[in-house]
Amino acid sequence: MELLFELPRQLKELLKLYRGEDIKYCVPYDIAEDGILGEAGYLVVTQRRLFITAGNQLAYEWKLEELEKIKCEPLVNNGILLIKEYKQDYEKRVIRFTMHHLTRISFAAKGAERLRDKNNRPVNAKEREKTCLKCGRALPGTKKCPKCDGRLVTVHKFWNLVKDYKMGLFFMFLFSGITTIFHLYIPEYQKHYVDNILKAKSGTAKDVLAFVGVMLALTIALVITEVLKNWWFVSLGARLCMDIRRKMYHKIQELSLSFITDKRPGELMNRVSQDTRMIQRFMQECFGHMFSCIITMVGAITIMLSMNVTMTLVSVVFLPIVFFISTAFRKNIHKRFHLQWVKSDKINSSLQDVISGMRVVKSFGKEQEESEKFDRLSEEFAAIQQKNEIFWASLYPVLTFVMSMGIYFVLYLGGRNILNGKMTVGTLMQFSAYAWMLYGPLGWMTHLPRMITQMVTSLERICDVLDEEPLILNKENAIEHEIKGDVEFKNVSFGYRSYEPVLEKINLKVKKGEMIGLVGASGTGKSTMINLIMHLYEVDDGELLIDGHNINDLNIEKYHSQLGVVLQETFLFSGTIYNNIRFAKPDATEEEVIRASKMANAHDFICKTPDGYNTYVGEHGHNISGGERQRIAIARAILNNPKLLILDEATSSLDTESEYLIQKALERLTEGRTTFAIAHRLSTLHGADRLVVIDGHNIAEIGTHNELMEKKGIYYRLVTAQLQMQKLKEEKEEALGA
Amino acid sequence: MSGKVKKAPAGAGKDNADPEEFDLEKMEKETEEMLRLRFITRDNAVFERTEGGFVSMKMKGESYPRVQVYRSFPFTDPDAYISIREADEKAREIGIIKNLKKDVSKETRQMLEEQLRLRYFTPKIEKIINIKDEYGFAYFDVFTDHGACRFTIHMGGGSVVNLSDTRLMITDLDGNRFEIADVTKLTAPELKKLDLFL
Repeated sequence: MELLFELPRQLKELLKLYRGEDIKYCVPYDIAEDGILGEAGYLVVTQRRLFITAGNQLAYEWKLEELEKIKCEPLVNNGILLIKEYKQDYEKRVIRFTMHHLTRISFAAKGAERLRDKNNRPVNAKEREKTCLKCGRALPGTKKCPKCDGRLVTVHKFWNLVKDYKMGLFFMFLFSGITTIFHLYIPEYQKHYVDNILKAKSGTAKDVLAFVGVMLALTIALVITEVLKNWWFVSLGARLCMDIRRKMYHKIQELSLSFITDKRPGELMNRVSQDTRMIQRFMQECFGHMFSCIITMVGAITIMLSMNVTMTLVSVVFLPIVFFISTAFRKNIHKRFHLQWVKSDKINSSLQDVISGMRVVKSFGKEQEESEKFDRLSEEFAAIQQKNEIFWASLYPVLTFVMSMGIYFVLYLGGRNILNGKMTVGTLMQFSAYAWMLYGPLGWMTHLPRMITQMVTSLERICDVLDEEPLILNKENAIEHEIKGDVEFKNVSFGYRSYEPVLEKINLKVKKGEMIGLVGASGTGKSTMINLIMHLYEVDDGELLIDGHNINDLNIEKYHSQLGVVLQETFLFSGTIYNNIRFAKPDATEEEVIRASKMANAHDFICKTPDGYNTYVGEHGHNISGGERQRIAIARAILNNPKLLILDEATSSLDTESEYLIQKALERLTEGRTTFAIAHRLSTLHGADRLVVIDGHNIAEIGTHNELMEKKGIYYRLVTAQLQMQKLKEEKEEALGA
Repeated sequence: MSGKVKKAPAGAGKDNADPEEFDLEKMEKETEEMLRLRFITRDNAVFERTEGGFVSMKMKGESYPRVQVYRSFPFTDPDAYISIREADEKAREIGIIKNLKKDVSKETRQMLEEQLRLRYFTPKIEKIINIKDEYGFAYFDVFTDHGACRFTIHMGGGSVVNLSDTRLMITDLDGNRFEIADVTKLTAPELKKLDLFL
């Protein structure tokens, strides 16, 4: 994201920068004081000062050290920048902007605060622009604009993808060439037959037979080369597509979690499946055809011109009309089919709504209403679809007819030429055959720009993933470290977006074998701390040390293989329980798996299922309860014999009995291992050596259960509240019972 | 419900410095308080403009240096049930103004309306100059009550929403919103440009 815009010169002069003072951030804002949209002014940050311009004037100027707070506050569909000076006791609203600049200004504000604190690290604006800053076009989720990138770059990217298939390309071109030659030669041969044998009446039955034979042979050869050509098209498309898909899959796995979570859900999936299919379709239907169409057309026109220039011109005279009609209708067609698409989308989502909300619909007795709603949508869709199909079915033949109108003129002119003796019947036949040959490819070529654009967009989206550099990489001489279990946070700050800190200056030293309970309201950063320990993200500031080594210096795979993780959402892969437990250690023996399951209190219920450890779970699999899933996840975590254990709400949403079983399993599990555990139910953490209460991006309290209870702070209040709640519940139950 | 109960003591504790013995009654009272509708009228509250460009409020001896002004029904009933909230991240509700037109003085109404205009930024499209659609995106060039504006939307579903038969809400790529208050008031050529989205 661009944070350093070019400040107009006359404005820059107004700032009167000192020597050695440079502009670090310069971002525009777009709502003027009176609410009018437009280029209202700039927010400019240097190492020393913060300026705000309005129109062509300087509106504010502060020294950075005068400012206590520089904050971007999002409102509804717009945002404001708040400034709090040390000498004043209120926050002042200084500028206002649309969502277009909200993120940008948040980053700049964060950057200004860093400069004020003498932290020279620039903010890392990973967010992407939504529209191209150069041409204003929307970007298809990519870093670079496909339009501004230029043809050459696109061609280069395309070449990079296909260059491993030179052989395939060669054969594709070869067979395209051969079929074209056959296509062009057949009318020529027919002409000879008509003129020299049929019309001259000089041939014998043997000649006729020979002609039929040759024609048959030519046609068979043509069919064979066509088949071979298509075979190459398809195989090249499929292999290329598979290759791209594989590359993307590997890349996505390699990329850090932030790349994936930054994208809209489903977007990466679309890129892997749909964009690659787009490339495949392009290779199959477009790329090869384009080539053969061009040679066919060039060949046909050259031959036609050499035969008769006037007739050639006449035969294509209607093409501009067709072109005109189809462009005139293009918008209309687009509109019609867009509408149809919108309606079908509505039907789908209403269906989705009702089916997934069936319990609600039924329990409120709204079946009738919902049916009527659906009927109405369905009827609307059917009406539009019918209209569109009829339209399409009538437009297309008309267009084809108009395009081929030229042929009647050709026949007329040719007929006259024959009568005048200027032309032979065979030549006319040959000529009209070439004319027909032109119409198909020309009609097809009108779709070409659209297909190429779609391809380029897909290509851009694919290359965007393939060219992405993973943020978390193994350093050159990464240490293959055996974890002992000391973990230390040293002034760690982190935010998923660097302008929105989740953790600020966290300091925490954890000794080997200690169990740490993380407590705090939701959204305070407990899970974030755990994500950092798991090294799914890199800290923004400060250091995270494992046994005294910076986590960034460790070999990532080696590090991850020594972690044991039980998350709130236990994800089981489609497959057997056995394979799910072995996920972290695929070469584990059956005995090891049973031992782990015993430890996790999972062995018994697994044995009770009809298929035992071979029970199929995951999507469409055997139904197992939340507690059972959780215990499988714990078995998975134990199997690895991890040195560091991470439990994120591992016992939430379980009934009391399974919670007890899991509690027991966890107690065994945490023995002698450094453990970080998050739990909403505070009773789960009673085994913890120390509790860390996180509040307001910081560690608010730290100590044992007893120490914190004595302190009567946040933890104390949380515990008493939970106890009271429980008491209240029990009292109510008693009252109801009595 | 349980979530609310849990939150109440944490917030309350922050306000008073003295961490007294846990008080169930107090907690329940606070919970009750949170569940009750508290109406703000010209009689029980005083609003004032602040130097920072916001509005402050005094009510029942409590004074709030800055309050936030939210609409409950921003599309269908923008003047009714105006929720006045604390300015911090939790934004707890202080009270509700049932009818902005009637329940407060003219000056208060004006300053609250200023705040609403600040919070809710949805330019009304007055004139459509051009709409160009290109490969899945539509580029709008319009004139609004906040001046001339260009924006881009996704052609895929969800960008244009019918608030009523004649009222449209358009959301652009960045998340800005634009409103067409009455489609029937547009001229024929403008309607034709908008055709695709109706």
